[in-house]
Amino acid sequence: MSRFMAVMGDSLLEVRDRKIFYLYWLVTLVMLLVFGLAPNLKINGNDLFGSMTSSPETIIGIQSAFFDGFFGFMLFLMVFGSAGLVPSFLGKGRIELSLSKPVSRYRLLTMKFLAVFIIMCGILIISTTIIWGVLSFRLGVTPGYFFYGLLYACLEFLAIYAIVFFFGAVGQSTVVAIMGYFIIRVGADLLANREVVYQFLGDSIWKTILDTVYYILPKIGEMSDNYGSLMQGGGFVKTYPIYSTLGISLVIFLIALLIFKRRDY
Amino acid sequence: MTEAAIAIRVEHLSKTFGGGLRRRGEVQALVDVSLEVSAGEIFGLLGPNGAGKTTLVKILLGSLHSSTGTASINSHDCGNWRARQKAGFLPENHRFPSYLTGQQLLNVYGGLAGMSRSAIRARSNELLEQVEMTRWRKTKIRKYSKGMMQRLGLAQALLNDPDLVFLDEPTDGVDPVGRREIREILKGLKKQGKTIFLNSHLLAEVEAVCDRVAILDKGKLIKTGPVGALIETKPYYWIETYHLPEHIAGMITSGFDQAIIEENVIKLPLENPRKINVIIDILRKYEVDIISVKPLSVSLEDSFMQLIKGGAAP
Repeated sequence: MSRFMAVMGDSLLEVRDRKIFYLYWLVTLVMLLVFGLAPNLKINGNDLFGSMTSSPETIIGIQSAFFDGFFGFMLFLMVFGSAGLVPSFLGKGRIELSLSKPVSRYRLLTMKFLAVFIIMCGILIISTTIIWGVLSFRLGVTPGYFFYGLLYACLEFLAIYAIVFFFGAVGQSTVVAIMGYFIIRVGADLLANREVVYQFLGDSIWKTILDTVYYILPKIGEMSDNYGSLMQGGGFVKTYPIYSTLGISLVIFLIALLIFKRRDY
Repeated sequence: MTEAAIAIRVEHLSKTFGGGLRRRGEVQALVDVSLEVSAGEIFGLLGPNGAGKTTLVKILLGSLHSSTGTASINSHDCGNWRARQKAGFLPENHRFPSYLTGQQLLNVYGGLAGMSRSAIRARSNELLEQVEMTRWRKTKIRKYSKGMMQRLGLAQALLNDPDLVFLDEPTDGVDPVGRREIREILKGLKKQGKTIFLNSHLLAEVEAVCDRVAILDKGKLIKTGPVGALIETKPYYWIETYHLPEHIAGMITSGFDQAIIEENVIKLPLENPRKINVIIDILRKYEVDIISVKPLSVSLEDSFMQLIKGGAAP
């Protein structure tokens, strides 16, 4: 446990040292100021604050739509916040010292993955829960379904971070980690709508290739489609992207571990 | 030597970098290196830059995988993390995380070594005092000088009370006073029975503290032995002149086959003191101005240079 706490402490201090860390709190503060101090917000003709003119279902719907977008925005920021942590951990002059300690390579990298994941999720949980609390107070409605969304956002970040982690560990570069993630993300999103492309492809081999690539890519974008329904108590709209993405992310993570195990530093 | 008395054993170790499938640009960093380091000794590894010293240490500590051969620490294969349970390491060109303070660095690496918080606290108090870094323990590393980082690095290497300490250029960037202090710490560790594996290109430093040394050149181990044996005990006379004309130099080398001429200097083995007078007489006869005549002993540096240039066999 002391080894994991050491990696956790180191990661926490590194995250705190990075400027992007303050961006999360700045975004949270801006949201708090908007929701805490705004006299009223009018969305689609509904008064949210002040006089209670909207039904609880409408308010929950608007709140879930807000958090749907907000989770997406925070996860986007979390990619940038976490991408540099593994390359810096594996940096020349630093990794040699970590590897000289009595801990296996598999364990060392897994501890780093978990530490960064826990810290980033901690930031997400604290930030969004505070905003949810203030917003709920102003609205007079406290929809607990929000926490399903929050839990799901952490699950989505697990898949996201596995990809970022893989590219960070293999490329040993923050830029490679960010670019690798976004290429996969955009590629999977495009392939989710591959039916449009099929109209222009006469050859069935191309369809098979596109289908195969789609099925082996993590489907982060499609995972995000579940937020709205989850936060209104409706359960999952799509389950296949969840299993598929988590399974593929696990494979990606294991490949990163294998590469780390075999590589010279 | 019994198995327990051997701290490090390296057998026919080779390491090749790069090359890929076509084997282009391959670099042989280590070639068939074999050596043993006994428990409780200070062992120095010498060699010019790029000789393979750091590669050997990195293989021993699990950062690099060997291409062929075996290496073990305290009877554990180096690929096994258990080999590093009682080892400490100060790497060369380390980049300690700059966002940490000195104390936080010890907390992180002590924790990774499996130490409890209370053990780290107690041990770091003692070690920071020893390396004179107590007053800087709460200062961020980014504000440290190179020498301060080396001192902190030494404290880090000794934190888990290791039986075996690897120090890669430990006095790099340290001022002369600090160097002497580090030397004293190393001698103190030896008294405690610790094994020290010292990588250095500072020959005087190695000569001052090491029991045995090995010399690596271009990845090959060219000599191993006690420091005393490595320094060939052949003192010589050194006769320095203002200007030594070529014909006189030729006259001396033809008359005295052991004499070596280097520009305006004549070197002659000390076992022939009578010949010194004869050479001086010749120089005076031809009105060659003598600056100095002094006896000199061969240093480890001379021996090292001779081995590196000559590529002598072990």
